[in-house]
Amino acid sequence: MAPLPLLPPRLPRTGFRLALLAGLALALMPAALPPQLQQAAPQLAGAQAQQKLLRISAIPDQKPETLNRLYPLLANELSRSLGVPVKYVPVTDYTAAVSAFRRGDLDLVWFGALTGVQARLQKPGAKVIAQRDIDASFQSFFIANTASGIKPIANQKGLSVLKGKRFTFGSESSTSGRLMPQYFLGQAGVRLTDFAGGAPGFSSSHDATIALVQSGAYQAGVVNEEVWQSSLSSGKTDPKKVIVIWRTPGYANYHWLAQPNLDQRFGKGFTTRLQSTFLNLRASNPKQAQILDLFGAKRFIPAPPRLYDSIEKVGREIGKIR
Amino acid sequence: MTAASAWSWRALRLAPPLLPLLPALVWLPVLLLLPGLSHGGGWDLIGQFAGAAFKPSLDPLVLSSAFTGLGVTVGIALLGWALSLVLGLVGGVLSSRTVWRTATGSALPAECIRRLLAVPRAVHELLWGLLLLQLLGLQPVVAVLAITIPYAALVARVVSDLLDALPTAGLEGLRLAGAPAGPALLTALGPALQPGVISYGGYRLECALRSATLLGVFGLGGLGTDLRLTLQSLQFRELWSGLWMLLLVMLVLEALLRVLRQRWGMPARFGLSRRSVGRGGREVVLGALLLLPLLVLVAVALGVNPLQLGQLQPLPAWTADWPAVAALPWPSLIGSTLALTLLAAALAVGSAPLLLLLMAPWPWGRALMQAIWALGRLWPPPLTALLLLFVLQPGVLTAALALGFHNLGILGRLLLEAEEAAPLQAEEALAAAGAGPRLALLYGRFSALARSYLAYGAYRADVILRETVVVGLVGAAGLGSLLLEALSSFAIDQLIALVAVYVVLTLMGEDLSDRLRRRLLAA
Repeated sequence: MAPLPLLPPRLPRTGFRLALLAGLALALMPAALPPQLQQAAPQLAGAQAQQKLLRISAIPDQKPETLNRLYPLLANELSRSLGVPVKYVPVTDYTAAVSAFRRGDLDLVWFGALTGVQARLQKPGAKVIAQRDIDASFQSFFIANTASGIKPIANQKGLSVLKGKRFTFGSESSTSGRLMPQYFLGQAGVRLTDFAGGAPGFSSSHDATIALVQSGAYQAGVVNEEVWQSSLSSGKTDPKKVIVIWRTPGYANYHWLAQPNLDQRFGKGFTTRLQSTFLNLRASNPKQAQILDLFGAKRFIPAPPRLYDSIEKVGREIGKIR
Repeated sequence: MTAASAWSWRALRLAPPLLPLLPALVWLPVLLLLPGLSHGGGWDLIGQFAGAAFKPSLDPLVLSSAFTGLGVTVGIALLGWALSLVLGLVGGVLSSRTVWRTATGSALPAECIRRLLAVPRAVHELLWGLLLLQLLGLQPVVAVLAITIPYAALVARVVSDLLDALPTAGLEGLRLAGAPAGPALLTALGPALQPGVISYGGYRLECALRSATLLGVFGLGGLGTDLRLTLQSLQFRELWSGLWMLLLVMLVLEALLRVLRQRWGMPARFGLSRRSVGRGGREVVLGALLLLPLLVLVAVALGVNPLQLGQLQPLPAWTADWPAVAALPWPSLIGSTLALTLLAAALAVGSAPLLLLLMAPWPWGRALMQAIWALGRLWPPPLTALLLLFVLQPGVLTAALALGFHNLGILGRLLLEAEEAAPLQAEEALAAAGAGPRLALLYGRFSALARSYLAYGAYRADVILRETVVVGLVGAAGLGSLLLEALSSFAIDQLIALVAVYVVLTLMGEDLSDRLRRRLLAA
C-alpha cells in the first residue's frame, strides 16, 4: 500500500479562509430563503395546523407551467365563492397525490379515473364532486412519429403494428396515458413485453409523451385527447412529425374528489356548496371562462361514483388496483 | 512441471498494476452489443441537450425556482447528514466489540447489534423515502429521515470497524491501573478515533448531497424534481440552469472538505485504514459548535417539524396474495438485477484507471475527463438512464451504463485523489529512464494503488447492488422496475417481498465483497 505523506503541506491561510467562507455561504443558502420556500416547496404542513385552509391539488399530468397557471386561478375563484382561504399545493407524482389524499394532507384533488378510484378505496367516504363535460366519455389517442412508417389504423386489431416498436406510456398511474391504452392493447393481443427492448417507456406526462414521440426517441406513444388538442392548437406539435393513428373508445376519466370530513371542518353543507360552485362555473363570466378554457371544458357536470366501476374492474385486471 | 508450462503459468499471473484494468475488459462485449441496442431516434435531442449546456436559461423565474430547489436539496442533505453522524457514532460505539468486551467482558451484544444494523443499511435511501412517504405523507422530514436511517447504519459500521482496529494496549494499561471502563475507553480510543471519523463524516456529506438530489428526482422535494421535470419535457436550457448551480455547489463542497481534511491532517477516503494523527482540535470543536445553530436554522427554513413524526398514518388497507407474489418470476428478476450490478461495477471500476491512463499525456484531456466525471457524480443515474433512452433501447445494459457512469464519477475522483497523494519518485524514475507517460503512470503509481483501489471497488459493487433500484425507470426487467410499479399499484404484499429480497441480496453481497476486500488487502 502506498504510504501517505504524513503531514501534508500546510495550506496558506487565505485559501482556508476562502474555503471557510464558501462553505458557510453554501451551508447558509437554505436558511436564507424561507419566504420562497413556503410557496415553492411541495411539502405540506400537518393537518391540524390547517383547519380552515382548503388545500387543493391535482395529479401532475401536464407541464408544471400549465398547472401553475391554472390552479392558482381556480383557488382564487373557489376562495371568493366559498369564503374560505384556498391554497394550491403542487405534487410531483401521481402516487404521492393518492398517498397525500389518504393522509388527509389534501382536501380536494383533481384525480384521473384510476388514481381517483385508488384514493377512494384508501379513503372510504371520500366524495366525488364533479367532472368536466368531456370526462364522461374521454378518449386516448395513439400517436406515432411519421418517420417510423406507422400508418393510421382502421380498427383496434390494427394495434398489433406496434409490436416491436419503441413505445411509451405517460405516467404509470395515468388512466388515459396507461391504464385504458394497456387494456385496449391487451384486447388487440399486444403485451407489454412485445415492445422493442421488452418493455414500454413511462414518460411521466402527456406533454412529455408528445415531445418524445415527435423527437423520434420513441416511435409511438399514447396521450389523452385534451392535451393532444391543446398541444396541436398551440403549435407545439408538428403535424408533419407526429400523427394520430387510432382513437380509443370513450371511458370515464378525470374528476374532483373531496375529503369526507369537509362539512365538519368548514361547516354544514360545505361539500354541497363546493359542488355547486363547480357546477355553476359559466363561460359567460370572464374569470370563470378562463378557468374552463384552461381545463379544456365547456362546463363541469355531476359525476355519479358508479361511473368508475368499469375503470376499477380494468384496474384490477391490469393489477393497478388490488 | 516442464519449463514451458511453468513459464506460461507465470505469464498468466498479472502484474499488480494491470489488475485494476482487468474489469475494463467488459467494454469488449459491451461495445459489440451497443450497435444492436441503439436506435438513434433521439440523437437530435442528445445534441440539443449538450448544446444547451452552453446557453442555460437565465430567466429569473427559472433561476429563482432552481435556487429555491437547490436550497431545499442542500438543507435536506445537511440535516440528514448531521443526524446520521450523531446516530451513527452512537450505533458505532454500541456495535464495537472492544467497547463491549471492556464494559461487560463479552463481545456478544456487539455482534447482535451489528447484525441488526445491517438491515437498515441494506435498504437504499430511495426505498426508505418512498416507504416513509406512505407513513408520513409528503413533508421534508421524509427526505431527511430517508437519508438519516441508512446513513446512520453505514456510519455505525465504519465507526465500529475503526474502533475495533485500534490498538488496545493503552486501553488495557488504563484498565489495569484501575480506571473504570467508560473513562478508560474515552481516553484510550477517543482521540485515536477522531481523525478517521471526521474524514469519513466529511465524505458522507458529499454522498448526502447526491442522495438528496436523487430523492428529489422521485418527487421528495428539492432541485431533483426540477431536473426530472425539465428533462422529461425536453426543456434542456432550463435543466442546465439548475444543473450548473448544483455542480458549483458540489465542487465547492468537495474542495472545502479537501481543504479541511488536509488542514486537520485527516486521512483521505482511500487510506481510511491508515492511521493518522489529527490536528486542529480546537477548530474541529468550533466547527461542530457553529454547525449546531446552522442546523436549527435550516430545519426551521425547511419546515421540518419533529412533532410530525408522531402523526404516523397506517399503510393503506391491503390484501395479501402471497401465492401470486411467489409466482413472480423471481429467478429472472434476481438474475437481471445481479447482471446489472456486475456490469455496472465492472464498467465503473475498470474505466476509471483506463481513462486516467489514456489521458495521461494530455493535460487538457485530463481536465475534460475530470469535468465529465464531476457531471457523472452529480447527475442522478435515473436521469442518465432517461437520457440514454433517447438513443438506446431499454434494458439491462442501458441501466448498467447509467449506473456505471455515476459510479465512475465517484471512483474516478477517489482514484485521482489517491494517485495525487501517492509518491512520485517511481513514476519520475521510470519517465527519466525513457518510459512513456502512460507506462510510467501505470507501473510507477498504479502498482502501489492497485490492491486498495480494487478493494474499494469491491465495496462500491456492494453499493451498486443497492442502487439498482433507482434505475427501475429504464424498464430493465429487474427488481427495481417491479418495485416502482408495485409502489404505484399500492401492492404492499409485493413491496414487502421485494424489499426482503433486496435486503437478503445486499447482505449476501456485502459479505462477499467483504471477503474479497480482505483477500485483496491481505495479499
